[in-house]
Amino acid sequence: MERRVVITECSAITPIGYAKDDIIKSLQEGISGVKPLRDDGLLTDYIHSRVFGTVDYPIAYDFKRLYRKTMGPVAFYACQVARDILERAGLSQEFISSGRLGVAFSSTHGSPSIQRHIYKTFFSNLKSEFSSIGAVDYLKSMVHTTAVNITRMFGITGRVIASSTACTTSSQSIGFGYEMVKYGMQDAMICGGADEYDTTAVAVFDNLLACSVAYNDKPQCTPRPFDRQRDGLVVGEGAGAVLLEEYESAKKRGANILAEVIGFACNNNGGDLILPNIDGITTTLELALVEAGIEASEVDFVSAHATATKMGDVIESQAIAAVYGDSPLITGLKSYMGHTMGACGAIELILTIYMMEKGFIAPTLNLDNVDERCAMINHTRELTAADTRIAAIQNFAFGGVNTCLLIKNGQGGA
Amino acid sequence: MQRTEIQKQILAILEDLFEFENPGLNDNLRDDHGFDSIDAIELLGEIEKILGFSLTRAEKEKAMTIRTINDILDYIEVVASEHNQ
Repeated sequence: MERRVVITECSAITPIGYAKDDIIKSLQEGISGVKPLRDDGLLTDYIHSRVFGTVDYPIAYDFKRLYRKTMGPVAFYACQVARDILERAGLSQEFISSGRLGVAFSSTHGSPSIQRHIYKTFFSNLKSEFSSIGAVDYLKSMVHTTAVNITRMFGITGRVIASSTACTTSSQSIGFGYEMVKYGMQDAMICGGADEYDTTAVAVFDNLLACSVAYNDKPQCTPRPFDRQRDGLVVGEGAGAVLLEEYESAKKRGANILAEVIGFACNNNGGDLILPNIDGITTTLELALVEAGIEASEVDFVSAHATATKMGDVIESQAIAAVYGDSPLITGLKSYMGHTMGACGAIELILTIYMMEKGFIAPTLNLDNVDERCAMINHTRELTAADTRIAAIQNFAFGGVNTCLLIKNGQGGA
Repeated sequence: MQRTEIQKQILAILEDLFEFENPGLNDNLRDDHGFDSIDAIELLGEIEKILGFSLTRAEKEKAMTIRTINDILDYIEVVASEHNQ
């Protein structure tokens, strides 16, 4: 059984806004969400990169304690975007708890701030009689905390998938959710990812010389995907969720079809866990086209992973050129908000849907002078009116995991 | 510690930390206030702070029969008394 799968709702908390209109405004006006790295009282002084894709606006969560008590910051993000899409969808509680709605959601590694709290408690009170770790600390920090807090809050009884694969976490969530619905295991899936403010991720990439350090006094000027003066990635925070539904049932209930997922591919480089791999990435992009049953020439827009690392952008450009040539417009959306880690695939997909709906493609921010080694593809250099029919969202992760999602514009009928 | 003082501290914890609304001494913790096993473990941590010593595994397991706030107060009195013997 193969069924069509459509995206009927989406919501994102991002460094460039939470409300759809705010995000679109940032994309159209070139507003960056990269800010100075907030002091964490622990690692900040030792980190060279002092920039961060920051969510610095208040969010009115309004969750009852019954639900709050098992949530760390990352689950707050996740449950908020999940609540947005469920409330807007208006699905019946009978369906939500029927076992036919599942959740594919995760984060890079649970809640690092709660994990830090656990170790702080453990080490600072090691010799004290009263040393103890809170009963809920594990529930707040475990790697699938986002997914199961969503199930708990809404009484969802279907499948749970919590793929924690760093930068491909949420693109895998969406891809695996798509496969769940396509092959009839579930009728709908809440899919996405989230990551909270976390300096350990910055420290790790900083130590690998992968973080941007040259624009600490001008955060909005970094990251700079594909630019000659790029000097690395900027870690960020945020969340994104989409509701995937089986096409016929979505149509029957009169759902607003934002886009159709027409293809997904995922593979592994089978070797180095850090270095980008041209063969692995190229194969992923090709596999997605085969799975969707379309030609490369049919893809109008590519949301590139484009972290602004020195080699990553070059390898990705080569892979795009090999598969697509210089036809589709290419944008690195991380240029607006940094690398939101486990959330990036979902957020970049949602931003792509917003741009499809509004008929424009945002340029890659800070792309002043294209690196010659990245110049063979069709970079979006300015705000461009575009009737995008098919888009690719590609993400690549530490560990050699590569993903590509292909979506078709839902306007005019999926 | 007097029972009235313990009661005052427990009610403050239940209202502030556990967000109980208008707790009654004989309310059923689970049915009336949604108190669950996670809350029970968290509350034991708070009781340890009131008592000023760590509860043993056996003492903690005895707490699992608690159903009301009065049960909590009884439990604290018994444990404190046994500890002082």
